[in-house]
Amino acid sequence: MAAAVLAAAFSVAGGAAAAGDAARGQALAAARECGQCHGPQGISAMPGIPSLAGHPEAFITLQLILFREGLRDTPPMPALSQGLTDEQVEDLAAFYAGLPPGHAERAPRDAARYEAGAALAERLRCGTCHLPQFQGQAQMARLTGQREDYLVQALTQYRDGTRRGTDTNMNAVMYGVGDAEIAALAHFMAQQE
Amino acid sequence: MMQRPAIGRLAAIGLAASLILPGLALAQPAPAPGWAQGRPDSMAASPLAPHAPKLTATPAAQLPTASLRVPQGFRLEVWATGATGARMMAESPNGTVFVGTRTIGRVYAITEEGGQRRVRTIAAQLTDPNGVAVRDGALYVVAINRVLRFDGIEGRLDAPGTPVDLTAAFGLPTEAHHGWKFAAFGPDGRLYLNIGVPCNICEFDRTTHALIVSFNPDGSGRRVEAQGIRNSVGFDWHPQTRELWATNNGRDWAGNDTPEDTLHRIRRSGEDFGFPYCTHGWRDPAIASGPAACAEFAAPVALLGPHTAALGMRFYTGTQFPEAWRNQIFIARRGSWNRETLSGYDVVVAKLDAQGTVTAVEPFLTGLRDEANNRFLGRPVDVLVRRDGSLLVSDEQNGAIYRISYGN
Repeated sequence: MAAAVLAAAFSVAGGAAAAGDAARGQALAAARECGQCHGPQGISAMPGIPSLAGHPEAFITLQLILFREGLRDTPPMPALSQGLTDEQVEDLAAFYAGLPPGHAERAPRDAARYEAGAALAERLRCGTCHLPQFQGQAQMARLTGQREDYLVQALTQYRDGTRRGTDTNMNAVMYGVGDAEIAALAHFMAQQE
Repeated sequence: MMQRPAIGRLAAIGLAASLILPGLALAQPAPAPGWAQGRPDSMAASPLAPHAPKLTATPAAQLPTASLRVPQGFRLEVWATGATGARMMAESPNGTVFVGTRTIGRVYAITEEGGQRRVRTIAAQLTDPNGVAVRDGALYVVAINRVLRFDGIEGRLDAPGTPVDLTAAFGLPTEAHHGWKFAAFGPDGRLYLNIGVPCNICEFDRTTHALIVSFNPDGSGRRVEAQGIRNSVGFDWHPQTRELWATNNGRDWAGNDTPEDTLHRIRRSGEDFGFPYCTHGWRDPAIASGPAACAEFAAPVALLGPHTAALGMRFYTGTQFPEAWRNQIFIARRGSWNRETLSGYDVVVAKLDAQGTVTAVEPFLTGLRDEANNRFLGRPVDVLVRRDGSLLVSDEQNGAIYRISYGN
């Protein structure tokens, strides 16, 4: 039994504990009104606000910790995350990771931008870490179906060095990528199912 | 919020132009992320990538203590929990253990109170404050982009106040890649630091990177103690000879078993150990420049396994362990990512004979690597011999510190 618990708690690929309780996380998300911006089912209909449904659990946990510790400066999240315990962070992550992914209403596909984005995704090897369907894994975010405007914002911040993850790999990936290329990449990822 | 460093520019082989000249970058291939830099095209589809950090503390009941093994006669217990991301350790004369971290940006002070340990966060929002060292009542914290001194720290654990900022005096490079520091005061009273190479494998200025350097405590008087050391995140001085010994991390993407991490004995200040050209006599084919052979470089005194991430190391200076352990070296191996079968995730001991020759490297603390499932249960980063002769081991992944003692 102990071994089984450990097996569930740790993995080679993630290294992070899948320790959260989704039911507690749901209650906490309701109490904290996370859905006001991120959508009641974790699908954001609000410009500039990311969808959270279906992200890897470790990714959500790590980002909330970066907010809480003052290491990721994206208002209002640093203030909203103050006082969250590690357990509460893991519960919220379990809740959002377990919600079915999807997307809000989005612009129709622009064939030229889509193709340019697909080529760039290949060149930047996004699928190596985010997996071939871009669903993310461990500390790497789900990109499939994310809001296009949010992806533009996030990729630009990585390129400009105003945001870093739990390491600087995304900054290195985005170094020197132009605005038009970021727009194409965001469009391509947002159009994925 | 404290200042963050600029993202380091990598002088990667074949990619240097696209990295250093932003205007040319659009037409160039994308720079490889730091961890993937130096990976040959033949390995482009490799699923190997660095493991995610864990930035929440593992509750005591979920620690993998039941799996941990130490030699007969030794005993392991959980000494502290809740020190998320715990890495390098330094003990003050009062017995307070200061602990550095990387991603979570904190520094901890752990004290004993009524048989229990109390963990305080005494600094936060720093960029990889890995290095901690104590001298004359002051705690030195070395982050990637800052050197801070907390004077009179023992009496101010609840309110450490504003530290003295020594950043400008030390003038350290600011690259994030391999920019985290191990810090310790030597027997000469100088502060020793590593300056890692800002890439996986690349050509770089050998006078500014891949070094162990020492400074006066105020940041003046920089001296190169060892060069051609890719990244040493742990060193200590032999208790009798006072020679500096250091661990070193070998590079990635040269195969599952090449090169190995190494243990170095620095016999004279400034000695050259060969990176990026050579690692333990292996001539790196990725570097075209430099000498054709490795004979001119000092050789390591022991190999510590491929990709094991041999980090914190200390000579055993206590008397609690049996005589055979005196002046032997405990080495924490954080564990591999760039190897299909995991390696490391343990504490080994380098056995030295009377002449200081390493005769064997043997396991000491095992059980954090689950070989049957090729997964890990924790990541040991540093070892520390306490004044009572017990050995502390920090587990970064679980935010825990274990204590190993002998006898009762």
